Formats: sequence, structure tokens, C-alpha cells
Amino acid sequence: MIEIENLTKRFDQIQALSGLSLTARDGRVTGLIGPNGAGKTTAFRIVYGLLTPDQGCVRVDGVDVAQNRMLAQRQLGVLPDVRGLYSRLSAREHIRYFGQLHGADGAALEADIDELVERLGMTDFADRLAKGFSRGQELKVALGRALVHRPRNLILDEPTNGLDVMSSRAVRELIAEMKAEGHCILISSHIMSEVSLLCDDLVIVSEGRAVASGTPNALRAEVGTDDLEEVFVRVLACAPSRAGAMQC
Amino acid sequence: MLEAKPHGWGRRVLTVLFKELRDHTRDRRSLMLALIYPMLGPLLVAGGLFLAGKTLQGDFRERFVSVPVVGIERAPDLKAYLEDNNVRFTKAPQSRMAQEDAVREGRLPVVMIVPDNANGRDAFTIELITNTGRVDNLRVTSRLSWIVRGFNDHIADEKALAAGLPEGYATSVKIERVNVARDANIAVFFYNMMPPLVIFMIFLGGVHLAIDTTVGERERGSLEPLLLAPVERWVLLLAKALAALAFTAVTTVVNLAAFRIFMGLAASSSDRLVAPPGWDVFVLAFVVTVPLMAAAVALQMSVAVITRSMKEAQIYLGLLPLVPALPGMVMVFSPMNPTDATVAVPVLGQMLLINQLIAGQSLDPSHVLIASLTTSLSAGLIFLLAAKWFRREKMFVLG
Repeated sequence: MIEIENLTKRFDQIQALSGLSLTARDGRVTGLIGPNGAGKTTAFRIVYGLLTPDQGCVRVDGVDVAQNRMLAQRQLGVLPDVRGLYSRLSAREHIRYFGQLHGADGAALEADIDELVERLGMTDFADRLAKGFSRGQELKVALGRALVHRPRNLILDEPTNGLDVMSSRAVRELIAEMKAEGHCILISSHIMSEVSLLCDDLVIVSEGRAVASGTPNALRAEVGTDDLEEVFVRVLACAPSRAGAMQC
Repeated sequence: MLEAKPHGWGRRVLTVLFKELRDHTRDRRSLMLALIYPMLGPLLVAGGLFLAGKTLQGDFRERFVSVPVVGIERAPDLKAYLEDNNVRFTKAPQSRMAQEDAVREGRLPVVMIVPDNANGRDAFTIELITNTGRVDNLRVTSRLSWIVRGFNDHIADEKALAAGLPEGYATSVKIERVNVARDANIAVFFYNMMPPLVIFMIFLGGVHLAIDTTVGERERGSLEPLLLAPVERWVLLLAKALAALAFTAVTTVVNLAAFRIFMGLAASSSDRLVAPPGWDVFVLAFVVTVPLMAAAVALQMSVAVITRSMKEAQIYLGLLPLVPALPGMVMVFSPMNPTDATVAVPVLGQMLLINQLIAGQSLDPSHVLIASLTTSLSAGLIFLLAAKWFRREKMFVLG
């Protein structure tokens, strides 16, 4: 479970987060959606210990990230928006490297790598260097890297960004499997159809704070439309700006 | 299920170190810098030594020297004396302009002009048209001047004896030259060029890796996933620094070995050049420069982690090797003696020690200790600063 409480973060002149709070529960997919610059990536970076909040706290399975970053990171598997592969390492070497960084080695690690290669459909390119990989192949390697230590909690930033139909479907199926296994999954996405298909809970973020949250059906009922995209647009339009005025 | 039991920090350092070494041994640029670049300096220096050896070899081995001359028939005694001393005369161009052009352009090494008023043993002034900008001209002019000076002494003695005066009356001081040098000075001059070039390579060997594994990783977006792993940031930086240090060490080994081999080959081309120092000296030079390698890598890492892009890092770190190498170049022409104080200056200490080794002097163990301690301490402090900067949020966030 990932608990975010009252996060604030400022970069020079930019107030990236202004008291963001949300909870992502085990066995559920929680979607963090919002316009560009709403603070989603900053929130994720605080959750996985890359940035320190000015105020507020994040707990991963009860571990305070600011207090014990490394222990919290062991409970987290993260797919960042920028996949960032090493062009001179093979797919298998990527996964092995991150497994070793998480403390695994030997035959157990190799067995887990084989399983991930099979599960993520990487058999054809597992031993090829990453230079020249397609976006779908890059995503699979990045997923393997994030899952090799079998984390209980997953953060997926734009997991299907730039993927073709087949690869997107494969990712959605994987997320559904992980959810069924009881993982806590927190994703961000701009694709409303994907959000609608995958997410059990939604948090709509604007100007660094949550302006609406609930199940997709609850939000639809609250706004009075079946179209989730319309829900998103209306919620953002009616959200009070930082100055305090309603925008609709 | 994978049991992710955390390793100790030493194991984490090794994991990252081995990954960086595997990654960069597959990188052509890193390998070029480590294996090819360090041979270029030694090749140039050895080439210079080879040419110098050939030039000097010609000077000593040529029995006769040919001198283009005008009017030598007007000074028969001088002509006979010069011929006795292995000077052979050739015809010089007649016009003054043609003589000067021929010497200036290197077609003739020198032109000797005996004046119209020369008359046997009476005093007269000969003119040597030479070009001091050319080594071969200098060589012939120097030899000719030396023989003419001998002729003067000889005539002065004859005149003194004829007048009933003692020999040496007119020339109170004579010079008798005994050359035992085996052209050592020329060879040693080239060997003295080695220390600044070695230090230059030490500051260049790991630079690509230092940039690529820090600001390069950030630029490519691979640093953020790496920082999601449960590893201390100083451990990551230490492992990357050790990888850069390994490349620097390989570069230095190749550089020193290339110097020994190429300079040995160049020296062996002439039996008048002293051989370069033995392999033991080069091994010792490697050992005394290990702290310097650590300092160079620490400096590279600290610069790399505060720069905003690879391009910016390349500009700064491209200039960095010049800073320690420049004092070394000055010392080629104006040597400095090592003292407790001078060897305590990081970088300078190692340079002085290598200079001593190349000059064939034995090292003072206390100097080695002082230089190693101060440079290692500097490396440690600079690394701590780099590690502090590596924790900054700006380091991790792309864009």
C-alpha cells in the first residue's frame, strides 16, 4: 500500500505540489490522472525517494520513504516515463544488474530472469544489446528491471506511452495479472480508455493537489456523464485555482 | 520468489563497478582513449629522439665535411690546415644573393668566404654565411669554426716561436675538447618530456567514463532508474569512480609501456644515444602515480556531477589535463629539486618523483610517503565533495 499525505514541493518559482494526498491500496489499480504539469511525475519521484518533499510524507507498506529510503525502494517496482536503458547491455544483463542491486544473485536470480523473459515475451531479444530496441522492447526491458525483485507495489508512469496496439494490450494484461496477485499498482496515464479499463480508483490532480477521487463509476455518477474523458474535463474546469476561484 | 536480502555496501560497489567495466569495454570511444591515445605522445617523443639521433650520428660518423667556399686559394695555409682536418671544399655560388639564398633554403649547409685582401698568414677575416634556424647548418658551422679556431692557435704559436717567444704567448688560454657525452644530453632532454605527458594522460584516461557514467547517464535518462535501486548514492559514485580509475590505470600502463618501448627503439637506432631508464623505473613510476590517478578521477567526477550537460563537462574536463601538465613542461627546461615542501603539493609531488626516476636518481622514501599521503588526502576530500554534489536533487532530475 502506498500512502501519500499532504505533499508539497516547490522548485524555485514553481509550486509543483500543494498538499497532495491519496492512498493506493493492495489488489487495486489506482490511476493518477491530470493535465501536463499537474505534479504527477513530481509526486512519483517523491514516492520512490528521488526527491524530498518540502512538507508531508509518503509511506510504502508502512515504511516512511524519507526516513528509510532504501527499505521503501525494496518494496517498490518503478517504470519511469523515461525508460533509460544502457545501449551496450543486453536485455538480460539489464534485468540481472537490477536484480543484483536488490541483493539477488546466483541460480535463483537466473531462474527469475528466465521467468521474466518468458512472461514479458522477450525471448527473441533477451540476449541482444539494447541499442536499436523498439519502444515496445524498451518497455519490456524496463518492466523486467522493475519487477525482478518481485515488489509488492508498482508505480507505472505512462506505461503504454508510444506503444503499438499489441504491446499496449500485453502491458494491460500484465497489470491485470499483477493486480490479481494482490499488488498495489499506481499508474499515471493520459489515455482515458486505458484508465477506464484498468483503474479501480482514480485521483484527478490539478495544480499539485487532488481535485477529485473515487472509483470511475462514482466519478461518472458525481459529474453526471458516462464518458470518463468528459468527467476529467469537467472536474478540471470546475476545480478551484490556486487563487481560490472556481474555474467553471 | 526471489529473496532480496540486501548485500553489504562493498558488494553493491562491485556490482556497479563490474557493470560499468562491462559497459565501457564495449564502448569504442572508451577503449580508444584507454589503449590508442596513450601511444600517441610516446610515438611523437620517440620520433623526435630518433631524428635527433640520426642528425647527431651523421655529425660524428661523417669523416669529411664538405664546405662550399669562395677564395680559399688566397689563404693556402688555412686551406692546407682545413684539408688536414678532413674539410673538403666545394664550389660555392658566385653572387652574394645566390649564396645567401642557398643557405637560407637549406641547399647548402654554409658558405665560407675568404676576402680579397687575404694574403697568406697575414690577419684577415673570413665570413661564414650560415642559418642558425637549421640544425644541419649549425652542425657544419660549429665544426668549421672549431677547426678555424685551431688554425689560429697553431699560427699564433708559430709566430711566437719565430719571434723567440714561448709557445702560447699570443693565445693565453687554449681549449682542448674531450667529448665523453655519448650525446646523453639530447636523449635526456627527450626523456624529460615524459613526466608531463604521463601526467597529461593520467588526467585524460578515465575522463570519458567519468562523464558518461554521471552527467551522461542523466542526459540519457538511465540515472533515474538506477537511483530507484536501494543503493547509497555515495556507493554509486564510488563504483563509477573506481571504474574510471581502472581505465586511468590501464591508460597509464599503456602510456608508460609505450614510452619505454618506443624510446628504447629510438635510442637503439644510434649507438651514441643513452638508453631510456629500465623497466623497473617505469614500474616504480606507475606505483608513485597511483595516488595521482585517484586525484585525477576525483576531480573528473566532481566536475562531471556539477555540469549540466555532457558537452559542458567535455569542455571543462578537456582543459583539465593542461593545468597539471603545464608545470611539468616548464620543468623540462628548468628542473626543480624535490623538497619536503614541494613534494607535499598534490600533483607536483608526483611530477617531481617521476622526474627523479627518469633522471636515474633514487627516490627518498619520505618524499614518496609525503607525496602519496597529500595527494591521496586531496583525492579523498575532492571525492567527498563530489559525493555531496551527487546527492543534489538537480543531479537526478532530467530537464
